Amino acid sequence: MALSLPRLDPSTSLWNLLTTGTTNDDGRCPGLITREAFTPAVYKMRFETGRVRESLGETSFYPYVEIGFTITDHSQKFHVPLLCSRFSYSPYRGS
Amino acid sequence: MSSTLPDSPLTTYVLNTGDGVPGARMALSLHRLDSLLVIWKLVTVGTTDEDGRCPGLITKEAFKPGMYKMRFETGQYWESLGHTSIYPYVEIVFTITNHNERFHLPLLLSRFSYSTCRGS
Repeated sequence: MALSLPRLDPSTSLWNLLTTGTTNDDGRCPGLITREAFTPAVYKMRFETGRVRESLGETSFYPYVEIGFTITDHSQKFHVPLLCSRFSYSPYRGS
Repeated sequence: MSSTLPDSPLTTYVLNTGDGVPGARMALSLHRLDSLLVIWKLVTVGTTDEDGRCPGLITKEAFKPGMYKMRFETGQYWESLGHTSIYPYVEIVFTITNHNERFHLPLLLSRFSYSTCRGS
């Protein structure tokens, strides 16, 4: 699944794209961001769920899933898992 | 509690699962993607009632097939309760192909997770 990680620039209120990636066979995407780049800010992770469903010959209620989240303590590890199906999804904060 | 608003084909329900109460008095907005200009156009703004619901979101006539986004001001909501949350807002983007059906978009929300599904 293709995904992307923009960061919100508070001075311009614009989203700046930091990384794009694709999940591997395990559904993971290593190497998303370096510790130095992971500054406190609002980020969003966008998952191209609709495209994955299409490639499987299915429709999906959700063309994509975007999860906005706030990072205050960037020394911690952040895990943003996404449980998704054609008609539901659920992110939660992991570590 | 009866509503004088016309029946909306799109409904929502917010539940604060962390505290086990309805997500009351949460600001939200409904947007539709203008497919020509590829920008989001605001359709409705509202606030959930004491029950976590927001009647009268959209009329049947306005509910055309297209891509919509429901945005919940969850960050403000948690702040008003004296909490922080990692989610400054929740935006749910969904596609409507058959606008004659009813769509229910529940949001189960805690400070560190949320869940949505398509209901009717």
